Amino acid sequence: MAATDEGGLWVYAERRSDGSSFTPVSLEILGKARELARQLSVELTAVTVGADGHAAADLRKYGPDHVLELAHPLLARHDGKAYATAIAAEVHKAHPSTLLLGATRNGQDLAGRLAVRLRTGLTAHVTSLELEGKDQLVGWVPGFGGGIEAGITCPVKRPQMVTVRPGVFPLPAEGPPVGDVTTVTPHLSEKDVGSHRVSFEPKGTSIDLTRADVIVVGGRGTGGNFARIEELARALGGEVGATRVATDAGWVDRDRMIGQTGVITRPKLVLVLGVSGAVQFTVGIEGAGTVVAVNRDPQAPIFDHADLGIVGDLGPVVESLLRALGED
Amino acid sequence: MRIVVCLKVVPRPEEVKVDLETKMLDRAGARSVINASDLNALEAALAYRDAHGGTVTVLSMGPPQFEPYLRVALAVGADDAILLSDRAFGGADTLATSYTLAAGIRKIGHVDLVICGEESSDGGTSQVPPSIAEWLEASQATYVERLVPGKHGTVHATRVLEDGKETVELSVPAVVSVVVGSNEPRFLDYDRWAFAQSAKVLVWNEKELSGDPQYLGLQGSPTAVAGLREVKKAGRRHETLTVTPDEAAARIKTEIERTRLARS
Amino acid sequence: MAQASEKMVAPVRFDDGTWEALAATTNANLCFQCGTCTAACPLADNTSMRVRRLIREAQFGETDPFVWKCMTCAECNASCPRGVDIVGIVRTLRGRQWRTRDVPKGLPTLLWGMYSDGNTFRLPPKQRASWMQDVKVPGKGSTLLFVGCAASYDPRAQRIARSVATLLNRAGVEYQVLGTEEVCCGEAARSVGHDALFRDLQARNTETFQKRGVERVIAISPHSFDALKAGQSANGGPEVVHYTQAIAELLDAGKLGKAAEKGTVTYHDPCYLGRHNGVYEAPRRLLELSGLKVVEMGNTRAQALCCGGGGGRMWMETDPPERTGARRVKEAAGTGAELLATACPYCISVFESERGSEAIPVTDVAELIVGRTKA
Repeated sequence: MAATDEGGLWVYAERRSDGSSFTPVSLEILGKARELARQLSVELTAVTVGADGHAAADLRKYGPDHVLELAHPLLARHDGKAYATAIAAEVHKAHPSTLLLGATRNGQDLAGRLAVRLRTGLTAHVTSLELEGKDQLVGWVPGFGGGIEAGITCPVKRPQMVTVRPGVFPLPAEGPPVGDVTTVTPHLSEKDVGSHRVSFEPKGTSIDLTRADVIVVGGRGTGGNFARIEELARALGGEVGATRVATDAGWVDRDRMIGQTGVITRPKLVLVLGVSGAVQFTVGIEGAGTVVAVNRDPQAPIFDHADLGIVGDLGPVVESLLRALGED
Repeated sequence: MRIVVCLKVVPRPEEVKVDLETKMLDRAGARSVINASDLNALEAALAYRDAHGGTVTVLSMGPPQFEPYLRVALAVGADDAILLSDRAFGGADTLATSYTLAAGIRKIGHVDLVICGEESSDGGTSQVPPSIAEWLEASQATYVERLVPGKHGTVHATRVLEDGKETVELSVPAVVSVVVGSNEPRFLDYDRWAFAQSAKVLVWNEKELSGDPQYLGLQGSPTAVAGLREVKKAGRRHETLTVTPDEAAARIKTEIERTRLARS
Repeated sequence: MAQASEKMVAPVRFDDGTWEALAATTNANLCFQCGTCTAACPLADNTSMRVRRLIREAQFGETDPFVWKCMTCAECNASCPRGVDIVGIVRTLRGRQWRTRDVPKGLPTLLWGMYSDGNTFRLPPKQRASWMQDVKVPGKGSTLLFVGCAASYDPRAQRIARSVATLLNRAGVEYQVLGTEEVCCGEAARSVGHDALFRDLQARNTETFQKRGVERVIAISPHSFDALKAGQSANGGPEVVHYTQAIAELLDAGKLGKAAEKGTVTYHDPCYLGRHNGVYEAPRRLLELSGLKVVEMGNTRAQALCCGGGGGRMWMETDPPERTGARRVKEAAGTGAELLATACPYCISVFESERGSEAIPVTDVAELIVGRTKA
């Protein structure tokens, strides 16, 4: 496909599984795309897919020039094959130069398929996006367990496709609704659908520490006072974790135990409070992005595993931290 | 059920270096391992075969040095192994890689289920499984933790999404990627070593794959690496302080903000 | 003759394979079911572990799931009037469970780590030498200090490695270490019944020993000590000693100084140093070297109560009633000694985590000596 940019910048606005609203990352990307579109002097289109056209109004608040709704009963829920088929048909008509998607699980599920359908380049879950030259995007992608970042481009094929991680761009401010809305009914039949939903179990019924981005861990030093740990976790939008000592004592459930014989976690941030740091525990946080530890004992092995270590009594530090966080 | 497991051999992440002058990846000193979630994929395939019958073939794309790792997979329990190897496949991005793997799967023939790991520890794009599905025009389910047969030759896959777990019915042939840690990979069986060492690992090159050269290797890769930079310092910062609670709170708050968790 | 019951009873099926395997690898056939082992087993007090019954069931081809609770402390071996290798029976029974993959969760992952990463923690191989930091190792000679996974990777146990190296350096011993070329001794595999992986890892280390011209190995962990010795037998190979034995020899040769006498210590005999290998006196002589008076616990030497970390238990979750380590720490505190000393990284790890409200500090013999004596 020739490098044209008649169709401008497109952003795929993904709906949540229950169809209620758009994923925050879609809106974050829309915000960034608005800025890019201005820099490139092209138009921005938000593309959304679903059973019907109700959702358009919500997207207009984030300032796209156009909203394109693809509506069909067979598109009621995410199916990689059907969604790729519907979107590809529109791409072939409008020739956007760029297509940005959120790197959610369904977003990735769609993007990988769509990129092949369009025979174009896809750069996956970038942590930053830069513009080079006339319309060349460079997406920085972590690899090798996060130790190295690669800057990836799609020099020739169009649209250049990029998926963006949640939280990379800020949530844009809402404004008065702008942009026109076009609703299209794609030509689809049963054979375009690859999967059918049998059931859906909403999250919240089970704890999954392995996917938590933020974890607050309490150990022996909490003396059993997990109310404060839970409060801290809530304030940070994270999960509560624990050491074997804490679960043995019955202060928290066993499924919150982190370590070699418990859960291995990879959060972006973990606060390790009142934990000595035996190796059987620390292997459970080896992959954490940032480790902050608080312990009364300056010799505690946990400090060998922390980026930031505070030697001090847990209670006063936690109180001060809750106060400091509450100030926002 | 004829099951194919796509396996990738990756360098140990902590042993890969970036040559900061040439901005090139230096994998030469790095030892290799089988990508972690591919072991989960292999386990999912073997468990499915053990429970419901069928065969498990491991398929990989890479240089001849990957062969011993395929033999490890045979020792774990796979029935046979195929390596797609040719200079022409080299330098491939995910489009070209998925094209090549799909060509290999088509050559195997009559494949019902393709199981991959959710992502590899080197590139980490998680794009290859849905891309393979598209090349094969097969159905797909990504981020799966559980796979059971459905009625009339379908498969039920339970996907782990951000807001819950979705079970979908897939028509066969289907491509599935499994979440790392979704099962506990069985350890290799030393009684199978003799078989694993002596088994014939099929090696298919470009000619045998009869793929379209425009989608192979470097020339078939629409994306390119414009630059590289090293990110993580080796190990933890070890900044340990003895300060007042308020000062501690301020430092911790700064650290939290630094990890870019502006939203709760 | 009593009247036949109306209830139909299913016929019992015997699987001879299990008993045949036991007969081939152990002297299990000597067992005459006296039950002394059950009485000796430290788990019998708080759990339903019954060693005699476990052996009896094995005769019928049944493997009691409690076989996985065993710490391989060898109290049963030590008490058996016929010298049955009951620890060997446990290992063989576990070995058979691997064939049907009927093993506790987490063990396959442990083995994968040992196989691929060469250590029990799934940590990077290239970090194996990080314990060395500021310690200079001579790096020559035919004596090898085998560090082991715990002392290489566990920060608490790394202090033991540095202490042993320091003492060897003070005595002017010429020795080398394998650094990142060292791989796990495989004891954990042997303990959980996976003999094949154990022999694979043994072979890897043996090859490196040969390349480096090693004639004598000093092991830091009693588990490595036992495993490296077990791996030798038929093939000859280097002499293997535990560090307490090596340092005791240096003491006898006058190569290390003594401290002024003061204070008390109680010494815990690690199962793999004491009961399994009969090394009781060397560590005690080293403690005298540190200037402390050794106060014995009631269960001492061959009667020592296991810390609970052996038999692969270090890598499995242990419920509170099974934790003999907690009982042992209480016993140690009960002697009134100021310190609890031992010579095994697993024991140290367990005691540190089980200390709880018992204030008694836990120390390794080598680190105690380094702290109390001068160069």
